[in-house]
Amino acid sequence: MLKVPEHQVAGHIASDGKLGPLVDDQGRFFKPLQGDSRGEHEAKFYESFTSNKKVPYHIRRYFPVCHGTQLVEASDGSGKLPHLVLDDVVSVYSNPSVMDVKIGSRTWYLDVSEEYFKKCIKKDRQTTTVSLGFRVSGFKIFDHQESSFWRAEKKLVLGYNADGARLALRKFVSSNSPADSNLTPNCAFASEVYGGSNGILAQLLELKDWFEIQTLYHFNSCSILMIYENESILMKEGDDAPEARAEVKLVDFAHVLDGNGVIDHNFLGGLCSFIKFIKDILQSVDKRDETDTSLLENGR
Amino acid sequence: MQLKAPEHQVAGHIAKDGKPGPLVDDKGRFFKPLQGDSRGEIEVKFYESFSSNTEVPEHIRRYFPVYHGTQAVEGSDGAAMIVLENLLADFSKPSVMDVKMGTRTWYPEASEEYIQKCLKKDTGTTTVSAGFRISGFEVFDHKESSFWKPERKLLRGLNVDGARLTLRKFVSSNSLSDIGSKPDSAFASSVYGSSHGILTQLLELKNWFENQTLYHFNSCSILMVYENESILKGNDDDDARPQVKLVDFAHVLDGNGVIDHNFLGGLCSFINFIRDILQSPNESAES
Repeated sequence: MLKVPEHQVAGHIASDGKLGPLVDDQGRFFKPLQGDSRGEHEAKFYESFTSNKKVPYHIRRYFPVCHGTQLVEASDGSGKLPHLVLDDVVSVYSNPSVMDVKIGSRTWYLDVSEEYFKKCIKKDRQTTTVSLGFRVSGFKIFDHQESSFWRAEKKLVLGYNADGARLALRKFVSSNSPADSNLTPNCAFASEVYGGSNGILAQLLELKDWFEIQTLYHFNSCSILMIYENESILMKEGDDAPEARAEVKLVDFAHVLDGNGVIDHNFLGGLCSFIKFIKDILQSVDKRDETDTSLLENGR
Repeated sequence: MQLKAPEHQVAGHIAKDGKPGPLVDDKGRFFKPLQGDSRGEIEVKFYESFSSNTEVPEHIRRYFPVYHGTQAVEGSDGAAMIVLENLLADFSKPSVMDVKMGTRTWYPEASEEYIQKCLKKDTGTTTVSAGFRISGFEVFDHKESSFWKPERKLLRGLNVDGARLTLRKFVSSNSLSDIGSKPDSAFASSVYGSSHGILTQLLELKNWFENQTLYHFNSCSILMVYENESILKGNDDDDARPQVKLVDFAHVLDGNGVIDHNFLGGLCSFINFIRDILQSPNESAES
């Protein structure tokens, strides 16, 4: 039985008879190959990537596993359509907080139509893409007070400036109510999710090392998906408590091109900027914890 | 004070049609005319800010020209000029290359007209495709015993392979005006490689750019310079003294807490081109 995925934060959503992705109960994600060549293009990328010997083994963990294409009953009732079959990256989580960040200071590339170029550059300039080298596309977090998921409003997200993006990244790892816009995010999970030897920052740095030398692909308009298990962190008691299991995944390969001997400097620049934002949050949390500790020690 | 036009200007404005160009004196100073439409002001503001900015690490200052304030100069209608260190003063036979860094030369705060002009140029050159473009160069041809400078038109039409070839030619000894000959990359290891070569310096700059949020170096260039005299003499003591300098700060803006991801992306791409040449000096083109 196929159903609409619960944790989709960006991209097309299969609701109200629209065409969108579906998931099964075996941990698989079915992405419809769209009418234009983008779907085919994405399928071609996965084919190439899966069998490309030049991709280092330790980098593969950052990409969804692809199982080819399959004819599946489309979500809009239009009959059996070819779908890309991927591993559902959130299926291993029970209450995942998810954020989609489009990386790069431009989403267009050479050889696109004038129309597509104009559309992209307009959006790039209106959002933080040009100024920061990335933009938050969408996110949702598990609100423990409400015991439900809170999803950031799409319009708001696209209207973010640098401070908005910063705030969203803080909210993403906070435990206080996301719905209350007057609350300062407490960044309660920042060190667990962003920090640590297996946290988001460590993974982003590993990706950065690869992007400094890989000339295989240019990941135009790709996103980084950040996921972590929200359930376990708050229930943590004792040494055998489950971890946040924060993960970074690259997704959306409809516009990937050959690298042709040049590194993906567009993605890399944006990635470095994103890394700096994460680092800044971790530093401010460390400082705050230090101050708290010294206040405690001074008997206040 | 005797002022004359600099010998090895490879990019940027030159004295033409009564408009002033840059000048040098015999005391190691370079005089740059203040450009109209606020660009000159921005450049002066940058140099003033940079010279006194305590957040700039000491080891990074070597990559920037020393600033000596502004001065009105005779013969230029009393117009003010920026006084800088003449970067080529200590070289007798320098090969020089100017590389404009970044995947875009425009920035959001610029006028719409300027943005469109830049976009056109960026998409037509290696700026969009490679993250940098070669603005100009002059190289000493050891076979011909003379300096060679390409036509500006040639540079504008360079594609990625052309840029790669040009970077090899920059460190080659064989005849350059003969387009058919394959560059021998004879000086690649002493200019690009070596413990204090171009690559090492670029990597040090890269480390700073990964963290610095002070300035956004829109449309800035990296200047690469090295000495041919010592190579001619075959002296082991006197090395090529390769140097990297950042120049042209007419469009620098405040970083505002964000790293200069545009410059950094281009710089990383440029570093990769240099590395490729060091790793395979005998190929004139990538397959």
